[in-house]
Amino acid sequence: MRSSVHPDQPRRSIWQFLAVALIPLLSGGWISGHQSTFDTKGPVAETQLDVFYVTLWVSLTIFVIVGAVLAYATLKFKARSSADEHAEPPPQGHGNPLVELSLIAASILALVVIAVPTLRAIWYTYDVPEDQKDIAYEVTAVGYQWWFKFEYSREMTPQPFGGEAPLITANELVIPAGRPVRVNLRTVDVIHSFWVPKLAGKVDMIPNRGNHLWLQADEPGYFWGQCAEFCGESHAVMRFRVIALAEDDFAAWLENQKLPARSVEAPAGAEIATPLPEFGPFRTNQPGWSPEFDADPLGNWEAWQEIPASGEEDAALIAEGRRAFVENRCAGCHVVRGHEGMGNIGPDLTHFGARTTVAAGLLENTPENLYRWITEPGEVKPGNFMYHSRIVPPTGMVTMPGYTTRDPATGERAPSPGDIEVTPEEGHALVAYLKSLK
Amino acid sequence: MDQSLTKNEFIGHEEEQAQVAKRSWLFSRPDHKTGIVSWLTTVDHKRIGFLYGVSALFFFLVGGVEALIIRTQLAVPNNDFISAQTYNEMFTMHATTMIFLSVMPLSAAFFNYIMPLQIGARDVAFPRLNGFAFWVFLAGAVVLNLGFFVKSGLPDMGWFGYAPLTSTAFSSEFAGDMSTDMWIMGLQLLGVSSVVGSLNFIVTIINMRAPGLTMMRLPVFTWMTLFTAFLIILAFPAITIALVEVMMDRNFGTHFFEVSGGGLPILWQHLFWVFGHPEVYILILPAMGIISEVLPTFSRKPLFGYPIVVFSGAVIGLLGFGVWSHHMFTTGMGTVATAAFTLATMAIAVPTGVKIFNWIGTLWKGHLMMRTPMMFALGFVWMFMMGGFSGIMHSAAPADAQQQDSYFVVAHFHYVLIGGSIFALLAGIHYWFPLMFGRIVSEFWGKLSFWVIFVGFNVTFFPLHFVGLNGMPRRTFTYDGNMGWNSVNMIATIGAFLLGIGIAIYFAVMIYTYFKGEKAKQDPWDGRTLEWALPHPPPVHNFDVTPKVHARDAFWYEKHNRAEVDAEKAKQAAEDEAHGGIHMPSNSWFPIFTAASMLLGAIFFCNHNFVGASVGLVLTFVGAWMWAVEGPGGYHLHPTRQDGDKAASKH
Repeated sequence: MRSSVHPDQPRRSIWQFLAVALIPLLSGGWISGHQSTFDTKGPVAETQLDVFYVTLWVSLTIFVIVGAVLAYATLKFKARSSADEHAEPPPQGHGNPLVELSLIAASILALVVIAVPTLRAIWYTYDVPEDQKDIAYEVTAVGYQWWFKFEYSREMTPQPFGGEAPLITANELVIPAGRPVRVNLRTVDVIHSFWVPKLAGKVDMIPNRGNHLWLQADEPGYFWGQCAEFCGESHAVMRFRVIALAEDDFAAWLENQKLPARSVEAPAGAEIATPLPEFGPFRTNQPGWSPEFDADPLGNWEAWQEIPASGEEDAALIAEGRRAFVENRCAGCHVVRGHEGMGNIGPDLTHFGARTTVAAGLLENTPENLYRWITEPGEVKPGNFMYHSRIVPPTGMVTMPGYTTRDPATGERAPSPGDIEVTPEEGHALVAYLKSLK
Repeated sequence: MDQSLTKNEFIGHEEEQAQVAKRSWLFSRPDHKTGIVSWLTTVDHKRIGFLYGVSALFFFLVGGVEALIIRTQLAVPNNDFISAQTYNEMFTMHATTMIFLSVMPLSAAFFNYIMPLQIGARDVAFPRLNGFAFWVFLAGAVVLNLGFFVKSGLPDMGWFGYAPLTSTAFSSEFAGDMSTDMWIMGLQLLGVSSVVGSLNFIVTIINMRAPGLTMMRLPVFTWMTLFTAFLIILAFPAITIALVEVMMDRNFGTHFFEVSGGGLPILWQHLFWVFGHPEVYILILPAMGIISEVLPTFSRKPLFGYPIVVFSGAVIGLLGFGVWSHHMFTTGMGTVATAAFTLATMAIAVPTGVKIFNWIGTLWKGHLMMRTPMMFALGFVWMFMMGGFSGIMHSAAPADAQQQDSYFVVAHFHYVLIGGSIFALLAGIHYWFPLMFGRIVSEFWGKLSFWVIFVGFNVTFFPLHFVGLNGMPRRTFTYDGNMGWNSVNMIATIGAFLLGIGIAIYFAVMIYTYFKGEKAKQDPWDGRTLEWALPHPPPVHNFDVTPKVHARDAFWYEKHNRAEVDAEKAKQAAEDEAHGGIHMPSNSWFPIFTAASMLLGAIFFCNHNFVGASVGLVLTFVGAWMWAVEGPGGYHLHPTRQDGDKAASKH
């Protein structure tokens, strides 16, 4: 199934190796991050990088030549003294048509050098190559303010009230490695843009318009992506991940995803183990990543998939969380297939526990980060539509006025009878419940 | 009662004219020469140019402070110096301010002040319209910045206002939120100002050139003024229509961009960039014009390949209308459209490159006087070259798919707009300062400000290329510390403050020079174009004697053919005097009255108070009507007569 060599496999020239060596040298390693466009992991990004190198080398060459002439002219003809400045004016020449025309011709030639590979790459990067269409995988990505929904249109799952519908996940797109993936791009609100720099350049998700892109991860891997079109208040924190898996692993992952949510039965009379951990206080915009996770992201993602051995979890706490999930109306916007919940305006949480991030790729999905997201979402992702939280001073109660309870006249999010309220205990229970949804 | 202005009135019959029946106060025109009223009612192109310049520099500082707020927020990862909302307001206003309230009006300041002098005119073709253009500009600037003072806050959907972020569903935090409306109305007013001003410049350049000043003898700055003016009148209608449509969507329930009603957000992008890309050339062509004046003057030889520089300016302007979709390479246009816009964009590099070659050709074998304006001009050539090359990188659509909306683009257009436009405008201020104010800026402080600005600018923006290619998207209020972006952002922030210090030095020196600087001697740079023939500062009527142009660098020719020109001048002076002296326009209240009415209407409209808006509209028409029927005014000056200005007469 894996196609090891795609037709436009570029031949790296000595110049490209030089460029790769030179730029970090100049820049002190500024181009090797999680979203580096130089560290390409698939043919689309690679082709785009090759075009970039062509433009870079042509530009640099011209820059060096023109810059040298400019520098020479400046140094050579500059007046050395005040007397020199006031000397007889130089000959008042008006130009040389031959020089000018040949420079124009040379510029056109340089542009042709850039244009040819550019045109080839425009066609290549636009859609899955014809001879690979039959092995291409297809998914649909839908942009929301401020998260991504992924729909596996080929993978049908049974639905709570009968019938089947495509498998839906959020914020972590799992794809098969080594074969092309066509991503259909849609949005439900404003314009977003789907960008996984190591795999492919971005294409926008535009309302009332069907866009697509294709990408391919040559090897299994864990990739960072981000919305690249300004989409409102929390645009900066609208992120996602792409996880590419070997064919077998991908199939196994799909198998598990299609199952309804995992249930942890609490034995009768089970008590919640105390004390509950202390989380917080949290700072606005506090980072949610850790070097440990970054050291081996794919390995950690795999570890995250493992279902805990029985007895490792606090079943009573999970049961309490499941109750809080319904009681606090989470179920109105989120769905947990096989459990409660049928809302579809928030991310599908059926296998939430197996995701490595929370709040649209923003925070590592640790209990502490999850607790923070549930109790102080406004501080994590300002303006988000889940709710906006405040701590009411005397009780320490966290109030959660829903998105719709803003006073439409003043914009104040004053507490109102419709507010959702989550106590710290409920927060811990929700964390335990959501983490159990492997 | 109403006297039609016939040619008879011009020809030496002041005594008779003095008997013309006095008009009622409402219809007579003010003639204050000094004081606040003289500024509010002024029709003098030099005063209007000065007003443009001062307002533009004020907003340049406002936009600069907004930039420093942005850079402070981004100095370290996960910063919480300002909120996401404030950050979005800051980058929206930084761009809007810098483009519409700084660079464009600063260019307009030079168009106003310098262009009529370069063509040997006494004023622009429509002096009152010129005043109106300025006051409407100020009204637009006020509306755009109202958010600083009202609860709605500033516009926060980006200077590009991509639909559907501008729709009421996404831009209005609460029912009374009018920040987006202020952005729409502010831009509309600025559009009116720009189009009115540009029509004025076009008519002026085509009709009011001094005798002998054929088109192919025009100074390049005047040529670029002409091209820019044409770009403005052709490009602004697109944004005007787009803004009307989004205004209708917001206020009257239409569905141009309203997704739920089947509107097409992509349509906004096309309309916006059909304006937006020529706008880029509106910002850079005047700069190229200034550079094409400064380099020959300080090289002491004519511009190399004048016809090609002029022609390439025209080609840039023309091609500028055919490349707008390169801002939309990631919108999924399809292969053919993408390829077409790629090739058109690459083509535009040719005329741009030609200009660089010609500037270097101008330096070649010259005697380069390395004064501050020359330093800024050379800095411009270097920086603009770098911005141009990163522009070529964007033109290759597949590469652009990685660069678009990343900090690589931010680096690119700041090289073009700061390294390009701003450097040229700073060069222009330095260059023409002795002419405008009769004082000359100290070389030491001038060069110091140049070097601090130059270094600060490069420290800020060069590293941003790398952080962009390393995957950092623009318009993000925060980033995580594990992305490899930390050191670059810290360096850029330090550079931004250095740049800020450089700008502060520059302005401190300018203000000091304005009040206490060394008096400039006549023609301090050994100038080549007509404006340097004038006293520093020029008198209200500009030229005592209508100049006659014999060659491309008119004043250079004058200086080198004194005898011929002096004889000619004496003859021309007698001729001018035979026509009754120099006819000067009177001031008028109605430009500012009409602009203020538009401001009133716009503010009411932003507040969704349509009664108030209608009142503003009616007053606008009243102002325009009064303007049409107020007296012709005007007076004569006799600078070449023995008794000089005392003989000024009014009719």
